[in-house]
Amino acid sequence: MFDHDHDHPHEPIVTAARPSLYEIMETAVRELLIERHLIGAHEIRRQIEVLDSRTPALGGAIVARAWIDPAFKARLLADGRGACEEFGISFYDDTSLIVLENTEAVHNLIVCTLCSCYPRPVLGLPPDWYKLKPYRARAIFEPRAVLAEFGTVIPAEVEVRVSDSTSMVRYLVLPRRPEGSDDFTEAELAALVTRDAMIGVVPVNLIDGASP
Amino acid sequence: MSQADAMLKRLPNDIGGLPAGPVRPVDHVLEPWEKRCHALADVLDFHKIINTEEKRRGVAALGAELDNVLSYYERWIAAFANILFQKGILTPEELAVKMQQVEARWACDVGA
Repeated sequence: MFDHDHDHPHEPIVTAARPSLYEIMETAVRELLIERHLIGAHEIRRQIEVLDSRTPALGGAIVARAWIDPAFKARLLADGRGACEEFGISFYDDTSLIVLENTEAVHNLIVCTLCSCYPRPVLGLPPDWYKLKPYRARAIFEPRAVLAEFGTVIPAEVEVRVSDSTSMVRYLVLPRRPEGSDDFTEAELAALVTRDAMIGVVPVNLIDGASP
Repeated sequence: MSQADAMLKRLPNDIGGLPAGPVRPVDHVLEPWEKRCHALADVLDFHKIINTEEKRRGVAALGAELDNVLSYYERWIAAFANILFQKGILTPEELAVKMQQVEARWACDVGA
């Protein structure tokens, strides 16, 4: 995205499409703030690298470790951010992380009704549907109907708990370990865990772990 | 509750619990400028120039009409500009001049 090897004063233009008003505004705001030394150009480049380094694979690794290491799981549930940092995942913001464990009795779902707050250090950026009105509006009052639209049916005797994220408090769902995975290695378990399972809209199962 | 009553009691982004259509599992890979905009948001937060809550309020302050027509990162950059004006960090004129320069540079680079 950024060409570090030449001294052109701006990003190389990779397409001849006329930039939109908002793209021009983004470039202009960024350059004005850099000219005034309020932010550094290197900080933007560095943060893009950080954003690119955060994917649901990190969350999947955390979940797999929690499944095989009860002491780690206890620490994760007690202090989500601390346990992730211990695992080597840095938090680049001031947010705290609460990990919600799915059990036989409780199924958790996360949402941000006001905007798009999401456990970005461990999952990367949220999918568009998480940021759009239907999910944000409905997840808190008809979660079972929303889950059904993802093909997920939670038995009536299982409580569905919805947690609404804020700018400071983010959530991550610890899904249930699927039956039939007793012989799996930690890496094989991690590969089963999808982004959507850590949002809580689908369970983890043995067949579609590879899908996004 | 009338539509006006509802609008008075809720900011445009405060939609939790309202009726809405089905959830469609849509997603897209961010365009380069969208990713830069996200990185800009994070860097502004690191420097306490605009924090996450100020950003959210800035987006809400765009109003329901703009909220409906702008995309996610279009709302963010529009909100950032307004917040920077309000804080006296940039003026609308400075931004307008810089935007003209950016656009002229693009036209020059593509030989338009």
